[in-house]
Amino acid sequence: MLEDSIKKVGYAAEYLALTAAILALWFFLDVHGDLNPVIMPSPSKVADTLGSLIGKGALWGDLLISVGRVLKGYLIAASLGIVLGILIGLSKHLERFTNLLVQLIKPIPPIAWIPLVILWFGIGESGKIFLIFLGGFFTILINVIDGIRQADPKLIEVSASMETPLLKHIFLMVIPSAAPSIFTGLRTGLSSCWMCVVAAELVSSSTGLGYLIMNARQFGRTDVVLIGMLTIGIIGKIMDSLLKVAEKSVIRWN
Amino acid sequence: MKITEIQSAKASEARQNDSYISVKNLSKYFERKGESLHVLDNISFQVKKGETVCIVGASGCGKSTLLRAIAGLDANHDGIVTVDGADVTNPAKERGMVFQEHRLFPWLTVEQNIGYALNGVSKEERRRLVHEHVKLVGLRGFEKVYPRQLSGGMAQRAGIARALVNNPSVLLLDEPFGALDTFTKISMQKELKNIQKQSHTTMILVTHDIDEAVFLADRIFVLSARPGKIKRIVPVTLPEPRDRNSYEFLEIRKTIYDEFFAEGQDLEVPKGKRKKPRISVG
Repeated sequence: MLEDSIKKVGYAAEYLALTAAILALWFFLDVHGDLNPVIMPSPSKVADTLGSLIGKGALWGDLLISVGRVLKGYLIAASLGIVLGILIGLSKHLERFTNLLVQLIKPIPPIAWIPLVILWFGIGESGKIFLIFLGGFFTILINVIDGIRQADPKLIEVSASMETPLLKHIFLMVIPSAAPSIFTGLRTGLSSCWMCVVAAELVSSSTGLGYLIMNARQFGRTDVVLIGMLTIGIIGKIMDSLLKVAEKSVIRWN
Repeated sequence: MKITEIQSAKASEARQNDSYISVKNLSKYFERKGESLHVLDNISFQVKKGETVCIVGASGCGKSTLLRAIAGLDANHDGIVTVDGADVTNPAKERGMVFQEHRLFPWLTVEQNIGYALNGVSKEERRRLVHEHVKLVGLRGFEKVYPRQLSGGMAQRAGIARALVNNPSVLLLDEPFGALDTFTKISMQKELKNIQKQSHTTMILVTHDIDEAVFLADRIFVLSARPGKIKRIVPVTLPEPRDRNSYEFLEIRKTIYDEFFAEGQDLEVPKGKRKKPRISVG
């Protein structure tokens, strides 16, 4: 028992060590006066600014708006990605039919879409959500297709040998077997969506964490830039952890 | 109906029962890289209803291919396979299949795996059948367990229960105990025998274990090396329960053994593979 808890403490230390070391380096440089506040503000300055931003409710508002945008784009990307991925994964014809287009669009970074998105959607919300959707969709789609393709042919044969009806075969055999891949797609897709929210908020916006960062840059407020960046990092990590929990509760058999 | 008609009907039923499973002129070629591999060569046999047949052969002789043809998993062959008078072209739930690997779905529990085979039955009927078959293979208490948590023998029991839950008229087993240790294997063989006694299922079991074949079979088909042909059919009329160490058992065992290793022909080590004896100089 004791050994177990010692081990756990060791693992926790390992988990935190690298991040803690970088923070320590930051404090150390600050104490030695090596930090130029425009390039890298001191930890205390960042903490003060964080306090006042939270106090004014400014950070909270931008955060909620960005989370809302990410969730909207992500939910559309996830639902379309899963449904289309399953259909394409099940049908060789559909895969041949869609493959070239998917392969052509996939490598285009969402930022490159910005001019077109402004022309198509204007500068409203829908354009931003479309960009976030693009960021997550292809990652999810391709993971789902792969997952379904990689189903064990031996298990497929078992299902076929029992005269299993098609829908039962899809829901009880194909989808569960692809579940780990689907979750990988959902998790990488979510982080892609977070990457796109900043790009999306570059498209003339006056709200959101991306706006907060770009606006602060113009005023040389590196401390606010850092806070915006760290907030995205932390929220992204929390959402990923939530997905991990969901994955564990769905994939109980492993 | 006249008496003669009844008699002829009975006679035809008897014929039907004598050739419940019938394989006629079955040949199979595999195409690989433009080369044609001859796997099964003109195989014909019949299996009676309720009979247990073991197909014995060295690895690569096509015995699994033969079983897959009977299961309908592979219809791409020459010749005709019929079960109960009907041509076999597709897999069907009347023919349960057990594979060497348990092939349980990892995401379903034991009872869900067994129940997966059932289609179009009511909830209560499903529960009853699953429960009955869990009991039959001795897995009570493990209904809610995932395959990952089962030992090899238990997983294979679940696989057998799944193959039996539709009450198939034919049970096809492809080296079902090949991956198990000797002790588990022997107890599983006994249980399979008991199950067969209760269900009267016609069984074809493919194996490379001669003891297993002599213990289980009413008849043993010895398959030759590729292309696979039926070299010999050995009837086993030993009384039940069969004693693996009885003289008669060992005699049949030797008969089959000699089919494979006649006059030491296969016992010689090929020259390339012969190892030089290592002499250590102390």
